[in-house]
Amino acid sequence: MPVYALEIIVVGIGLLMLMLDAFADLKDKRAIGYLGVIGLIAVFGLLFVVDRTSSDSPFWQFYSADGKSMFYKGIAVLTTLIVLLMAIDYSPVTIAQTAEPEEGAHPQAGLGEFFSLPLFTCAGLMWMASATHLVSIFVALETVTISFYVLVAYNRRNVGSLEAGVKYLILGALSTGFLVYGMAWLYGMTGSMQLSEIATKLQADGINETGALFAFALLLTAMAFKVGAVPFHQWIPDVYQGAPTPITAFLSVGSKAAGFIIFMRITALYLGNGYLVGKITLVLTILAILTLIVGNLAALPQSNFKRLLAYSSVAHAGFLLMAMASTPTETVAKSGESMSVGSVVSFYLGAYLLMTLLAFLVMTVIRASTSGESISSYAGIARTNPFLATALLFSMASLAGIPLTVGFFGKLFVFKLAFEQEQWILLACGIIGACAGFYYYLKIAASMFLSSPNEGETVPAIRVSPAAAICMVLLMAAIIYGGINPSLLLKLVG
Amino acid sequence: MFSLDTTLTLQHFLYVSGALFAIGLAGVMVRRNLIVIFMCLELMLSAANLTLVAFSRYRTEGDLPDYDGQVLLFFIITVAAAEVAVGLAIIVALFRSRETTDVSQITELKH
Repeated sequence: MPVYALEIIVVGIGLLMLMLDAFADLKDKRAIGYLGVIGLIAVFGLLFVVDRTSSDSPFWQFYSADGKSMFYKGIAVLTTLIVLLMAIDYSPVTIAQTAEPEEGAHPQAGLGEFFSLPLFTCAGLMWMASATHLVSIFVALETVTISFYVLVAYNRRNVGSLEAGVKYLILGALSTGFLVYGMAWLYGMTGSMQLSEIATKLQADGINETGALFAFALLLTAMAFKVGAVPFHQWIPDVYQGAPTPITAFLSVGSKAAGFIIFMRITALYLGNGYLVGKITLVLTILAILTLIVGNLAALPQSNFKRLLAYSSVAHAGFLLMAMASTPTETVAKSGESMSVGSVVSFYLGAYLLMTLLAFLVMTVIRASTSGESISSYAGIARTNPFLATALLFSMASLAGIPLTVGFFGKLFVFKLAFEQEQWILLACGIIGACAGFYYYLKIAASMFLSSPNEGETVPAIRVSPAAAICMVLLMAAIIYGGINPSLLLKLVG
Repeated sequence: MFSLDTTLTLQHFLYVSGALFAIGLAGVMVRRNLIVIFMCLELMLSAANLTLVAFSRYRTEGDLPDYDGQVLLFFIITVAAAEVAVGLAIIVALFRSRETTDVSQITELKH
């Protein structure tokens, strides 16, 4: 079976779920969600057995099936899988905030689409992981973005969700505008749309370097919006806070991973040209410094847990940009042993997936039983819900980068790369950011375990569904295993 | 430079499309009505389309233009239509609950 069959299967499952929602007479629509989960587990298994050989057919100008694309396809499938599990646990909130109290309507009307849309997003993410042509990059990116517009604004009886949807819509469309205009200029300067051909043309003599840099500036703006780099990060806290919690998790992992793979592909085009690479490294360094400082320091005073995780996601984008800004240049000879930028970024994203999804999984379970999203409502939660508190502790420790968690190695590799490239200012900002991170992540852990609950705000013991509990245990195990022995993840990254 | 007897060159198209893009961007930043902002966003996409067609037309192979750019244009038009369909639905839903399309009054989410 060829690799691209996987995307077709994922879209097929999504359509099947949509049809079941519309035509099958289901008592409990959560069954549709479980169908999606089973389908994605099967697709994840198929990732390891598909036929990855390419042929001379023009199709392979648009598509690649190298190790890196397979890794990002795996990230897309795993993220969607866990998001679906969250969406199943979150369904009481979804029903309360979408269904119209109508005579004769299904009591769970509107739930089915909430399960099938993430499948279409997943297909877009998987396609993006393999895209090697401007047309396929554009179409895949828009598949993801447009289905996210719907998902963010899904709780249509909740003003916050609608407002987040509109903000995401306007800024997403703005970044699309920059992306397309940048692509037009890149095509105009090189006369090609195929990434490897563009890279060759950009190295050739007689290339219009100003035009090529203008194209890069436009594309950089678009990518910075997608990954949430400062100064294009203002939408992130509002959208993360307003969106339904499972979708916030999807945005912060899936959308970020997809943004970074395109970001790396586009930056890689320019690396062959000695003149352009110096300029680009400088811009990326400035972007990384701003993102590290603003993301980490703005997270410090947050009192809403979702907003805190939003700024944390900006901060992590800063660490990833720090790796990208440490691209080996000609002045510093590359030693044979150091990891490539692509591997460091992929490892960091893999680690980020585990810890962020665990945090959101715990948050979804708590949110479905209580109404609080503020940090103060987590106070003393360890007494009534020791399992959930432990899971959140693992996630926070890993996000902060404490040794023996996978997050530690993610940060270590980034710092090592910056050290080898002698990016001293960047390194200093990274250390300041990491220290700030220790404070705001461990503040939550301390609040859960050490303080006593506020008067009248005691969180009752929450029953965790078996699927979510298994998922949490697996994620905790993966965080610790990756923190003791990162070689398996490193091998997957390639 | 702009006299009538000169032929149109690639530069003329790039000036116009650049101006369109700048007008669209300025509109997104300055205007307060969501519908107008959305129109300005479409203007930015049109600017990109014009750029693509111009580059495509002036990069000839034999006597034919290089059609790669024009193909991307059709994808952009299609995607823009999908974006408008979803976008207007969200704006209508917001208008129903808030009865305004003024972005300065949409401030439910705050620090």
